[in-house]
Amino acid sequence: MSKPNGPQDDDSHQRLSSSAEAEHPLEWDESPNNRKSKSERQAISRREEKTDARKIVTGESKYTADYALHFPDLAEASILRSDIAHGYVTEIDTSDADAMDGVYAVITPDSDEVPDAMYTSAGQSYPEPSPWDLNVLRRKVRYVGDPIAAVAATDTQTANKALRAIDVTYEELDAVLDPEEAMEPDAPQIHDPDQVENIQPGADYERNIEAHTEGEIGDVDTAFEEAATRDDWFVTETEWKTPYQSHCVPEPHTTIAHRDEDNRFHLITSTQVPYHTRRQLAHLFDVPIRDIRVTKPRIGAGFGAKQSMLIEPITVALMLAADRPVKLETTRREQFYAMRFRRSARVQMRSVVTQDGAIKAFDMSAVTNAGAYGPHGLTVTSSIATKPLPLYTHTPNIRFEMKAVHTNLPIGGAIRGYGAPQGHFALEGHMDEVANKLGLDPIVLRSRNLIGNGDLDTASGVTTDGEHVRRIRSCGINDCIERGKAAIGWEDVKQPEEDHLHRACGVALTAQKSGVAGDELGAAHIRMNEDGSFILQTGAVDIGPGADTAMAQIAAEVLGVPPEDVLVQASDTDISPFDYGAYASSTTYVTGSAVKKAAEDARAQLLEFASQMLDEPVENLQARDGAVRSTQTGDSVTIEDIGYESIYGDNVRAQVMGQASHCTDESPPPFGAQFADVTVNEHTGEFEIHQLVFAVDCGVAINPDLVEGQVEGAMHMSYEFAVSAGLSFENDGTPETLGFRDYGMPTTADQPPLESILVETHEPTGPFGAKSVAEIPVNGVPPALSNAIHSAVGVRITDLPITAEKIRAKLDTD
Amino acid sequence: MSTDSTDGTDGPVTEEITVTVNGEPVTAAVEPRLKLSDFLRYECDLNGVRVGCEHGVCGACTVQQDGRTVKSCLSYAVQADGAEIETVEGLDDDGSLHPIQEAFHETHALQCGFCTSGFVMATKELLEENPDPTREEIETGLADNICRCTGYQNIYEAVEHAAEKMEE
Repeated sequence: MSKPNGPQDDDSHQRLSSSAEAEHPLEWDESPNNRKSKSERQAISRREEKTDARKIVTGESKYTADYALHFPDLAEASILRSDIAHGYVTEIDTSDADAMDGVYAVITPDSDEVPDAMYTSAGQSYPEPSPWDLNVLRRKVRYVGDPIAAVAATDTQTANKALRAIDVTYEELDAVLDPEEAMEPDAPQIHDPDQVENIQPGADYERNIEAHTEGEIGDVDTAFEEAATRDDWFVTETEWKTPYQSHCVPEPHTTIAHRDEDNRFHLITSTQVPYHTRRQLAHLFDVPIRDIRVTKPRIGAGFGAKQSMLIEPITVALMLAADRPVKLETTRREQFYAMRFRRSARVQMRSVVTQDGAIKAFDMSAVTNAGAYGPHGLTVTSSIATKPLPLYTHTPNIRFEMKAVHTNLPIGGAIRGYGAPQGHFALEGHMDEVANKLGLDPIVLRSRNLIGNGDLDTASGVTTDGEHVRRIRSCGINDCIERGKAAIGWEDVKQPEEDHLHRACGVALTAQKSGVAGDELGAAHIRMNEDGSFILQTGAVDIGPGADTAMAQIAAEVLGVPPEDVLVQASDTDISPFDYGAYASSTTYVTGSAVKKAAEDARAQLLEFASQMLDEPVENLQARDGAVRSTQTGDSVTIEDIGYESIYGDNVRAQVMGQASHCTDESPPPFGAQFADVTVNEHTGEFEIHQLVFAVDCGVAINPDLVEGQVEGAMHMSYEFAVSAGLSFENDGTPETLGFRDYGMPTTADQPPLESILVETHEPTGPFGAKSVAEIPVNGVPPALSNAIHSAVGVRITDLPITAEKIRAKLDTD
Repeated sequence: MSTDSTDGTDGPVTEEITVTVNGEPVTAAVEPRLKLSDFLRYECDLNGVRVGCEHGVCGACTVQQDGRTVKSCLSYAVQADGAEIETVEGLDDDGSLHPIQEAFHETHALQCGFCTSGFVMATKELLEENPDPTREEIETGLADNICRCTGYQNIYEAVEHAAEKMEE
């Protein structure tokens, strides 16, 4: 798209948008039963218990490690990781380890079973928007934690003993730990581009840049030039820094690999992406996709940590070398340095805003620390802008530049929010700074520029120069603001009696997406048993929040049966229909749509049976309350009777089986408003958060309990990111944060009260009006808290975590 | 406790221990370095004992030993010789759930569930010592366990709900 000349004003922005009107009409061809009033809903919008709740409270639910008992000859494995940040492994002496009793296999980069092929650990669709820059085991090491060798033995203790007996000789190279320094001409070069495949846009490996893109809507420079000539346009510049964050998944990554009776690879593994893992393993080990089976058991949470293929390749290589089943369980220590993390980021914001609060231009740039390798680097760093900026999509001139930069530190990956927390901290902190400068109420400034229902959003397409456009068909952000204000007590903050204590509320607005527009596929299959129950198979990966339950509710709503009559089986690549996996807040929106369509397919078939049984035309029939009823005669037949008739009947016998796929170019944003109520001690900088409130518009909540659980859990992560996140390292890159205590993981004793508010809208493109909710509540606490503290004591914290020491230092200097 | 070498030569040294696990005596020859958590998980097939951090912080492995909660990843099986151990699997009574278990699933106090066994066991000790805790006492009482999914709010409700049920 060619750039229009001159800065755009609001009118010309509308003209730009109008060219997209035809392509993105407001009207949506919604199926007639998609929009239900609250009284019409039977299975959705209900506080349905999670389908796996009972087996969880009894301890009987089975996670990957629990399958060990199925394999009597199972070997246990451990990984030898680099203890230098940058260098070459010149020699690995495994002779003592090989000779040790109880050791079945020791593998190194030279082992026949260890593939040489390059790959990315990012669990993304094919071809992955991430460079293939990884080997399974590494001859060149790029951070403290790179896997060099691995051992399979009778038990973990023996494997660890063998690891200690392996002698590694390194040729050490200079390491670089800071992204800005890494881009300097004389910085050590971490990757050789000749050895990287699937290189991403803008890569410049001589400067350690993994990806670099720019995008612009309108003409930002001219807007700033105009601002320089006018005294009623104000330029504001800010800079924001965020640290590493660990997912802190309760269940460390675990994989069991064995060969099944047909000699195929079978993995039971804690993954969010069974199908991507299957494809990537097939690539690495050069075996057909069909010869690999990936089973997802219960997962001890993911948050993006398991949207990566991290330990599966090593486990398979060990299984081949040891010629027996192998279980590899990572340790909590490894979780804190050798897995994946929210990448640290520096975000710069510049804006032009008129005296009365109309935003004329945003100029945003982000540099993220990709760490040693590049999974998710391009897409996470782009999301720093593309997720939050749509809040103010009317801004006529927007520019965004991003660089993902390698250092010799742990690897950035996917983590709940996916760039959006870094972006929201910058954008929503910046908005408060603008409001302060203009003397406007922070909510008034936001409302003046806010996205609304029916808008065409171009800001989410800033990285494509505005080519990617989407229509907003549901937007409850104003209600989120109003209800959040009421809940936090925005209008009536009572000051403490002590003069040195100051209380204030802060706000941050948030947005996210619902799946990856144009790059998703969810499929579902549902079949009826003779007792009128249903087996629903999807590839959706429930990693804890309750996707299986939500899918059962969607199917049950269509079929007119109670949710407990829909049994969900997910997921196993041999059995389940295809699914891209649990990421990008996509499961309810994308896979849920496939489930709804599959259930509609099944309903059409069971209505045919009912039509014959009742001698009534299909159009007179309604499936509800476990029966099909004629709206004309009132006669009915139970779903169970239909089940028996379909399987054992005298006439046509055919099992009722529905199936569907769903992919979409739509990705409607959920919206939210985060509020924080805080008291700050002006002497010490100590602060107490009285309450965090998040009001969210996620469309129709399929299961309000599950949604509130998502909101509260994500708000907890957002709170942790705000006040305690970060990993520390010695000067040579050796990690110092190696456990929950070092990390400062909040416990029940630390955490402020959380309140979640659900604001219902209807998203016509989503199943029964649903949008996503999994990630959006993770974005708001850092800016809301920073804004509240500024409002309370007048100091601005621009780098996370927010600590009493930082506040006091600013109070002392300001 | 008796000490023996499995094959009389250079095999691992084991010790015979007898532990009452969920009311049933279990006698086994274990290596001295075997963690109580691994003993319960792999010798007793009690998968409800989860191992999340191996350093006694996350609390997923919490069990009761002689009526007191212990982090089973921090103690050795041999230290439980002669003791009574109760795990989450021991709470239900012939298929009917313990009120704490009921409360956790009724109030949606769980998501991935990996920490749930530990929280249930910690709650049991909390309510045995203090049958009617305040919200603040619950927050203090459960501070040795970590949950990453729920934001803790529904866990507090579960404890309050369980306290009500147990009073009845």
